[in-house]
Amino acid sequence: MLVEITAILRRDKVGPTMKGLDAMGLGAMTLTTVNGRGLQGGNVMTDIDREVPAEYESVSKIVNHLTPASFALSHSLTRPVFWIPKRMIQIVVPVSMKDEVVDLIMSVNRTGWMGDGKIFVSPIGESVRIRTGERGTDSVL
Amino acid sequence: MMKMVRAIVRPEKENDVVLALEAKGFPALTKTHVFGRGKQKGITVGPIHYDELPKVMLMIVTEEESVPVIVDVIQKAAFVGYEGDGKIFVSPVTESYTIRTGAKAE
Repeated sequence: MLVEITAILRRDKVGPTMKGLDAMGLGAMTLTTVNGRGLQGGNVMTDIDREVPAEYESVSKIVNHLTPASFALSHSLTRPVFWIPKRMIQIVVPVSMKDEVVDLIMSVNRTGWMGDGKIFVSPIGESVRIRTGERGTDSVL
Repeated sequence: MMKMVRAIVRPEKENDVVLALEAKGFPALTKTHVFGRGKQKGITVGPIHYDELPKVMLMIVTEEESVPVIVDVIQKAAFVGYEGDGKIFVSPVTESYTIRTGAKAE
């Protein structure tokens, strides 16, 4: 039984994550460059937006802070869509190693700030190593 | 049970889809630029054949109950009516973790 672990991470945490996985004997993985947005909608200035008192809503935000909202207004856009560059690591492991890998990725990547990323675990039906024709667990370890 | 919805849509429809999803309360998603072709095997314009057409893949992981809503929203927002509008795939996700808090959802 194999599972695929998909982790969406900060760009600068890929190196440490790969080192950690290497130490566990998991050298094989797929790395993709992706863009993402989270609950804050890609607005990395969310914290600044929150600091502005509600009564100054429109004016002071626009004058004092460059936020996606003020950027959109000054560029006559109706609604901005902002993306944050991320890296996606996909690694297929036997289900017995799942918790170990998830714990490692979490401990390496946790900074406590928004944008640390997500880990998804999904089942893999079949796996074949093309070179040898091995199937199942043999094909990924 | 959580589900991963992967939608392959026209690049020019990306903004419409994202804003439509956000309006329905699904702001969080991941996008990748991909290349693909469909059962028409690409496009032939005169003597030139294009078989790697640029697309945008949007990936959303969500609760099972939200899947019909999301699929519906994407289908309406990405619709043009010609070949190349794209596909939506739904696959199972057994666990999902938020790294910042360590919270686990199943």
